[in-house]
Amino acid sequence: MNALAGEFLNLDVMWRVMPMILAGLARSAVLCAVLLPIGLAGGIGAMLLSTSRVRAVRWAAIGAIDFFRAFPPLVLIVFVYAGLPFLGVELPTLASIAIAFFLNASSYFGEIYRAGIRSVPAGQAEAARSTGMTASQTFLSVTFPQAVRNVLPELISNTVELIKLTTLASIVSVPELLHSADLARSLTYNSSPLILAALIYFAILWPLVRLAGRLEHRLR
Amino acid sequence: MLNPDGAGAPAGSRLLEARGIRKSYAALEVLRGVDLVVERGELVFLIGPSGSGKSTLLRCCNRLEEPSAGTLLVDGVDLMSPRIDINRARRQIGMVFQGFNLYPHLDALGNVTLALRKVLRLSRRDAEARAMETLALVHLQDKARSYPGQLSGGQQQRVGIARALALEPKIILMDEPTSALDPELVGSVLGVIRELRERGMTMVIASHEMGFARSAADRVLFLEGGVIVEQGTAEQVFTSAREARTRQFVQQIMH
Repeated sequence: MNALAGEFLNLDVMWRVMPMILAGLARSAVLCAVLLPIGLAGGIGAMLLSTSRVRAVRWAAIGAIDFFRAFPPLVLIVFVYAGLPFLGVELPTLASIAIAFFLNASSYFGEIYRAGIRSVPAGQAEAARSTGMTASQTFLSVTFPQAVRNVLPELISNTVELIKLTTLASIVSVPELLHSADLARSLTYNSSPLILAALIYFAILWPLVRLAGRLEHRLR
Repeated sequence: MLNPDGAGAPAGSRLLEARGIRKSYAALEVLRGVDLVVERGELVFLIGPSGSGKSTLLRCCNRLEEPSAGTLLVDGVDLMSPRIDINRARRQIGMVFQGFNLYPHLDALGNVTLALRKVLRLSRRDAEARAMETLALVHLQDKARSYPGQLSGGQQQRVGIARALALEPKIILMDEPTSALDPELVGSVLGVIRELRERGMTMVIASHEMGFARSAADRVLFLEGGVIVEQGTAEQVFTSAREARTRQFVQQIMH
């Protein structure tokens, strides 16, 4: 029992690796601050394209969205990071990750927005158009705000997923939280840094999960 | 150039002039050549069984539905012209819906100010001032900060009327404005409509409120199968209709 605690809950080890872990946390925060807006905004683009009145655009968008939802994000990151240089495109690591996340997260967020748009009754847009508002004014002021409100729990849940996915940046050597924890583990020959990282993730994500659950309850 | 009818003449007495309106959905022809001419200040009632095309006719009048054929003049403006700015034209044509269609994410004031700000481009202050005046007209100045979900059906519909009214339209189209209301709430909405009439507002109302039609409508049109079967004063249509179909329908709605 003591051996188990010494391997996983070694406070002494946790304390020693804390600076490394905090540096990783800071890097993860930067990743989230960059990638989440990219996903949320990209999702709006994906939603607009996949609901386009031009059939060819709509089909192409739906095809791309399906593809990137089914494509493993880890492989996607490696492709963009290691593949683009072969095409003569040299990008900073963060830009590679941003592209991969843009493709993946936009697809997921786009589908959530699309469900949200569908949940707004047609009478809402009709009322707005009957007052002389243009199609885009109607979308921005009437349809979209209600769509977002209706799918807020799903948007939050997907945000949690995205935050967890940022750990994939570790495979292209970005020293984010999990990467730092794993490095600390190999330096200390002890697994406690991983538990510490898990606790940090839990402390950040659990309130979001709870919030999504409560909103879902209230909207039903 | 003036045509013989005087359509297009400035300040004519005809506010709405829809002629030969047809509307088809695939094989189904919902409107089969309807003429709807409304004089300035008139209150016209549209009655008819469900599916007779009342809603579709109203929705064609502001091109919320695209008529398959027909001409449509509102205050002399040709709404079917390819060069028409339909958003600008719609400012003149208020619409009130059976299901209210209030914006649930905005309070009563926000529901009324939205178009004032986006369409008329009023400042927030001016829009709110005008919205408060309009809410007072429907006796809801105390409910400006209430959200639709906090209002009764009758109150919601009066916000719906205020939303249309605030743009100072020349005509208001109402699609069964009281059908979704509990009986005890109908009166407040009809009261507001009556007050609008007294202020000279031109209105076309699809509704089966016969008592109200008798006391307030200038004309009643009976629509069935996508055509106007009969029209006249409320008294004529309700008590001495010429057409058997009209009499039969009137019997049904009187129970």
